[in-house]
Amino acid sequence: MLNVVSAPIQSVKKLLAALTLSVVFISACSDNSGNQNTSSSNSDLEAKAGKFGLTAWEYENGVGPIKQKLNIGNSIDEVMAKSGEQIFETKCMACHKIDERYVGPALKGVVERRTPEYVMNMILDPADMTQKHPEAKKMLAQYATQMTFQNVSQEDARKILEYLRSVSK
Amino acid sequence: MKKIILILFAVTLSAVFLTNCTQSGETASDIDAAKKVYVAPGKYDEFYAFLSGGFNGQVSVYGLPSGRLFKIISVFSQNPETGYGYSEETKPMLMTSYGFVPWDDAHHPELSMTKGVPDGRWLFINANNTCRVARIDLKSFETAEIIEIPNSGGNHGSPFVTENNEYVVASTRFSVPIPEKDVPISSYKENFKGTLTFIKVDPNNGDMNIAFQILVPGIDYDLAHAGKGPSHDWVFFTSYNSEQANSLLEINASKNDKDFVAAVNWKLAEKFIAEGKGKKMHTVYYNNFFDESTLSAKANKLTSVTVLDPKDCPGLIYYLPTPKSPHGVDVDPSGEYIIAGGKLSTVIPVHSFSKMLEAIKNKDFIGDKDSIPILKYESVVAGEVENPGLGPLHTEFDGKGYAYTTAFITSEIVKWKLGTWEVVDRIPTYYSPGHLCIPGGDSEKPWGKYLIALNKITKDRYLPTGPELCQSAQLIDITGDKMKVLLDFPTIGEPHYAQAIPADILLKNNKKIYELEKNYNPSAVKSEKYARVERKGNEVHVYLTATRSHFKPDNIEGVKTGDKVYFHVTNLEQDWDIPHGFAVKGANNSELLIMPGQTKTILWIPQQEGVYPFYCTDFCSALHQEMQGYIRVSSAQSSVKISFN
Amino acid sequence: MKTKSRILLLAAALMLISLYFFPIWNIDLHAPQYPEGIGLRIWVNQITGEKKYDLSNINKLNHYIGMKPIEPESIPELNYMPYIVGSIILLGILVVLLKRKKLVIGWIGIIILVAALGLYDFYSWGYQYGHNLNPEAPIKIPGMAYQPPLIGSKQLLNIKAVSLPGVGGLALGATILIATAAVVTDKKGKPDDAK
Repeated sequence: MLNVVSAPIQSVKKLLAALTLSVVFISACSDNSGNQNTSSSNSDLEAKAGKFGLTAWEYENGVGPIKQKLNIGNSIDEVMAKSGEQIFETKCMACHKIDERYVGPALKGVVERRTPEYVMNMILDPADMTQKHPEAKKMLAQYATQMTFQNVSQEDARKILEYLRSVSK
Repeated sequence: MKKIILILFAVTLSAVFLTNCTQSGETASDIDAAKKVYVAPGKYDEFYAFLSGGFNGQVSVYGLPSGRLFKIISVFSQNPETGYGYSEETKPMLMTSYGFVPWDDAHHPELSMTKGVPDGRWLFINANNTCRVARIDLKSFETAEIIEIPNSGGNHGSPFVTENNEYVVASTRFSVPIPEKDVPISSYKENFKGTLTFIKVDPNNGDMNIAFQILVPGIDYDLAHAGKGPSHDWVFFTSYNSEQANSLLEINASKNDKDFVAAVNWKLAEKFIAEGKGKKMHTVYYNNFFDESTLSAKANKLTSVTVLDPKDCPGLIYYLPTPKSPHGVDVDPSGEYIIAGGKLSTVIPVHSFSKMLEAIKNKDFIGDKDSIPILKYESVVAGEVENPGLGPLHTEFDGKGYAYTTAFITSEIVKWKLGTWEVVDRIPTYYSPGHLCIPGGDSEKPWGKYLIALNKITKDRYLPTGPELCQSAQLIDITGDKMKVLLDFPTIGEPHYAQAIPADILLKNNKKIYELEKNYNPSAVKSEKYARVERKGNEVHVYLTATRSHFKPDNIEGVKTGDKVYFHVTNLEQDWDIPHGFAVKGANNSELLIMPGQTKTILWIPQQEGVYPFYCTDFCSALHQEMQGYIRVSSAQSSVKISFN
Repeated sequence: MKTKSRILLLAAALMLISLYFFPIWNIDLHAPQYPEGIGLRIWVNQITGEKKYDLSNINKLNHYIGMKPIEPESIPELNYMPYIVGSIILLGILVVLLKRKKLVIGWIGIIILVAALGLYDFYSWGYQYGHNLNPEAPIKIPGMAYQPPLIGSKQLLNIKAVSLPGVGGLALGATILIATAAVVTDKKGKPDDAK
């Protein structure tokens, strides 16, 4: 009996928590966009992004755990790239090749097409990306296979990014 | 039931809580949904739903709208719970030209039809892997027959029936060398072929026989549906891999803009057969029956099949170009529209049967493939459904002018109008629906009340159970303008496809017991008087009777290690729902579950001396726990004589 | 006797033919695990279940309380009852032909006597089955007997037994009533018009 009663209470609690959280998030989001507003100079981009319910920053850099510009220099960190390659081989290679399309698109030049933050968000939260971001949505329609999150840490995603940068040079 | 009450209780409670906490409008509608699926204790559901078990090889029987599970019918997989595929009576059901095959992948349940409407006599289902079609008797809910499909490399596009079960069709998913031979895989284009198989069904007893096979170009045939009304004489088969790739198909078979729907005129095929155009071909396949009188299966080996080559049969097949690897092919209730789920296409193409006939008459061809004419897309297409979601797979109909298509990638069901092709409603499903089922939804007269979406992925929908999660069925109310999710229930195996039928149609024929006087199993013992133990060399036959609440005999001596002991157990009960079970310690196969009036046999080879208990496993009565016995096993050299009481 | 009375008498006699086509007595058992019902039918020459396998199922249930299985072949009455009923019908026809009121009254007396004996016989079989229990039975309840009621209903452990005349039994009753009515109404006519 106790279980019967507590289960719905728990779910209600969860729901309430979710509601509260989303309120926080929503307000956080609007705060963010407020901040963006002051820093962004491109109001066209803002309008375009708005059509998809995204901020200009998200439109350029994707939706996911990466919410700020990363500090990435011009040179390639070879050690990091090497380590990224190894991660790529175990976690990405079943679906991606560098030079040609496979299950997903060829990844050569991806860092020229997308921002580094976009690439990392795609690695870190592909489900959210394909649901919310117009570019990622297009890719899903084209390739017809949902990209999966491969349990990659933020740190490892950064290494994969470095590898992708190195092969795109 | 407990679960449902619990869920209902939870739903109600959380609804109460929610209304207290929030202004959410969903709660009232949740209660409304709960009411619609609530079937009070002791009351019957409105529909029987037969969900295939996919990779478990069986069929599960559910009630709609409650989503309650009633039975798992053993079909292609051994089931130690009942002894199916383990008992001597049922082992022959799983014989194939590859020997005994204990498992398969069962995909498409298909109800037998009369005048294009499910008649509730039989349920057909395909085995994908070791190609077979089974027929389940809907009086006993047991598998009655299994026929192997020769010259097939994967029986996916099967077993779809014509309007009066004239034929059950099957198409090969994998093309293979026909006849099978040792060739390099890279010689696909030159050596590989497909077949479309037409199985004749005896209208009286349902017996299946392969009438003929059509040899077709080596591509992947996927699904099929028979025509209706004006298109009665035709069957439509989808295909993909017109690229004829033999490796990494996900890329290499996704290149062409159009693949084909093959339209086959089976009436014409009959004419060609009558004219002697069919060629006898040697091949080996099995046709296994469960004989209702001996209550035992018999495996029959067959060695010849009649094959038609389209080259000799002009007008037998036409190819309808269809965008991007079509998966399902569904014919609307009127028989005019043929809908293909182009799974990589951004539209759902709808072909017109009357335009197809016109185009054939006008020879509106854009070429041919191995002498099969390819019709011009623009001449056969009736319309395209725009924006149907990503990955459209399967379509069923409500009989009120609407079609419902699953979109796998975008996880939704899309409702659209036949004729105008406009999308009128869409509803998300959780997640990734493959097939969908409306009772009678692929027939001439759908019972368009409910729709079930058969979801491949459940992720966060239920209490998690480690990495392996259940798949699910989602019940959707389709009586209004807007679809509405009512219930979401977990399923057994992969509910690949389902068919449903009003319960009334089956209820009147339901079998309750096997009549003892009609049990002609040679090992049956119809009275305790004849219960006995006999030795024949190293075989010991124990003719046991089971009744509430004892076995006769229940003390057996004289068995030696290494003997092949056959327990032939007859359930003497003649009352509904009094099964008995039989289990003996150390048995290396399974138990037996014996229905009233039935005889089942299990083989037991004891390896060690000792006294082994056996007992009834099905709680049969207040004295069920007393329903037990002993069998003494002596050394191989011992001189203990057979005795029993 | 008046023609009208004789027709009534003939009808009464012929009504007994229904005993060959309908059970005389019904015993219905009601228990939760038998939602569809289970019961016995006592015919002029046999005992059957209400449905095909009811008798064997009742015997299976009864073995728990140590009741002897009901085996129709072991009840000799069932062998000669059809002849007794047949004789009564023939006697009735004879009486109609002879037109003697005294004979009619005698005939009615015979029927009542046979019916009473039959009921007594039914009661004594019921008593025997209900009391003569195997002492080794799995279920033993001291002082408990399982005799079904002669007429009416009775709770026996989890089972409610209802015992009532069947169509045949009702026809037998109707025969007695009609024949008596024929005699009574005939009083107003001529005393005895036998020639």
